[in-house]
Amino acid sequence: MPGAAVRIEHLTKTYPDGTRALKDVSFSVQPGEFLIIIGLSGSGKSTLMRCINRLIEPTSGKVYIDDVDVTALPPDGLRRMRRSIGMIFQQFNLVKRSPVLTNVLAGRLGYVPPSWSLYNFWPRDLREQGLRHLMTVGIPEKAYTRADQLSGGQQQRVGIARALMQDPRLILADEPVASLDPATSHSILQYVEQLNRNEGITVMCSLHFLSLARRYGTRLIALKAGEIVFEGLPADIDERRFKEVFGEEAVEVEIR
Amino acid sequence: MGRNATTPMARAPEIPRPGAGILRVMAWLVILGLIYAYGWRVTQIDIGELVSKAHLITPLLRDLVRPDVLERRPRLELADAGIGLEGTPPPAPELARTRGLVTVTPAATQIGETVVISGEGFTPERPVALIWKDQAGSLAQVAEATTDATGRFQTTVAVPDVIGTAHHIIARVTLEGTTLGPSNALRLVGFRMVETVFLALMGTTLAVLFAVPLSFLGAKNLMARGPIGTSVYFVVRTVFNIARSIEPLILATVFAVWVGIGPFAGVLALGIHSIASLGKLYSEQIESIDPGPIEAITATGASMLQVVRYAVVPQIVPPFIAFTIYRWDINVRMSTVIGFVGGGGIGFLLMQYINLLQWKQAATAVWAITLVVAAMDYASAVVREKVV
Repeated sequence: MPGAAVRIEHLTKTYPDGTRALKDVSFSVQPGEFLIIIGLSGSGKSTLMRCINRLIEPTSGKVYIDDVDVTALPPDGLRRMRRSIGMIFQQFNLVKRSPVLTNVLAGRLGYVPPSWSLYNFWPRDLREQGLRHLMTVGIPEKAYTRADQLSGGQQQRVGIARALMQDPRLILADEPVASLDPATSHSILQYVEQLNRNEGITVMCSLHFLSLARRYGTRLIALKAGEIVFEGLPADIDERRFKEVFGEEAVEVEIR
Repeated sequence: MGRNATTPMARAPEIPRPGAGILRVMAWLVILGLIYAYGWRVTQIDIGELVSKAHLITPLLRDLVRPDVLERRPRLELADAGIGLEGTPPPAPELARTRGLVTVTPAATQIGETVVISGEGFTPERPVALIWKDQAGSLAQVAEATTDATGRFQTTVAVPDVIGTAHHIIARVTLEGTTLGPSNALRLVGFRMVETVFLALMGTTLAVLFAVPLSFLGAKNLMARGPIGTSVYFVVRTVFNIARSIEPLILATVFAVWVGIGPFAGVLALGIHSIASLGKLYSEQIESIDPGPIEAITATGASMLQVVRYAVVPQIVPPFIAFTIYRWDINVRMSTVIGFVGGGGIGFLLMQYINLLQWKQAATAVWAITLVVAAMDYASAVVREKVV
């Protein structure tokens, strides 16, 4: 299945305390793109990601995925939409006390009958699929280990396997490597890149580091105080643009 | 450090007059001295008494190392037969037959008549006591005999002036030698100890039933979202705090008046106290759950129920179990003390032994408490280790 197309129109989010996290943001993502979103902490990256699958309800504006208006979906339709959108988090968000395989299988919850999951019953083919995804991210031997026994990089791989379990057409990666060291960051992003290239899954990924953005992104959006201040190819961000996004005192840090 | 550590300042700080600090310290010392002098007097501390009155405690300490655990009992052979009065047919024997057989002729008779009691199959040449057991169960020895070389005996008894129609006569043959078995005190202590453990279990269970639902109402992250929720949260937390500040001992005295002295009063006292302490622990656990997994499971398209099952339950159930087992452990320890004020269980028995100056029996109870509490402590630690 090809990747999803995303179109965002006039998206605005104002929190109850008055913070305007997103101000009239519009852009679109083509199927199979690897879109990078950069910006400072608090620039609205996480809010933007969460408005796409409505973990946060937008104040106004529209989000279309393959021409379906996500913002207008009823609860049932929203759940069906969410199951085709994998999400990867900065803090991995695994259930720490559960085994790795349970965490991976949880990605399938949107597809299975609810009564199965209450007894934690998973048929053999799903368990095998979970193990295959763990093999894809290189940690099949950790399937029955408790999630909190894993290193940060390994936990993020479980996060990727969980997203794969959804058969996603879009992956939202919210600062997936911000808690990891440089070497591990590359290995995680390479897995995401593989999925993007081999399976054609559309990826939207927020990052802190421009060097990583240049290496992995096919296109880049820069957010500043809830507004898009740059849109184009990662290579087009020069010193001047960089200072615009990150402020006059910022110095570019390279991750190799 | 030292002189080099001083930093340049725009204005030198005011230097306090020398000696002012020392005077303040002296004043505090005098006040502290007065407080402790008064405390010493008012609590009647007298170190000398520890030595001069040591002879009062020695019997207890001596008996502590030789608790009443085992005792020698005479070896017995028992058998019985029924007697029916006033036209009632004789009842069937009550004792399980071990060796001998007793027969009464006639088995249906009247008060004042004479009956022949004969036995066979007992150990030869041993004394026999014949005991009348009336319908109410009270026992009275009515005759003596001796078995002959073949293990038989025969004697006559006049039916005593008894109430009721169904009676038994028991033949008790005393054999040579004695057997070693658990003492009465040990049996009683064992029984009360079981009662104590179950008292704690019931109290804890009672508490869990109330604490689990209440803890959700007392969790800030769930409740403090609107004015109604916030006020419910404050009410629940205040109730928890008040109930927790009342000692179970006081609660037990109150309930002993209410429902009478016994384990039920103890169950209620421990239950009420545990609702508050478990409720607070549970609430804090709910408040500290990680919202990340909830977000992640929601993002997979899971339903509300699935989110609870996969993201919330794994985060709260193991700690809930651990807290509950820990509370049970505490309650076993506490229920021994609760018994002292009428809450039943081993504490009540221990208090009786102490009041009767039965130090050896008291020692049995003290040892039992020590062993059971230590075992519970260890077991609960192992289980908690496994669960969390």
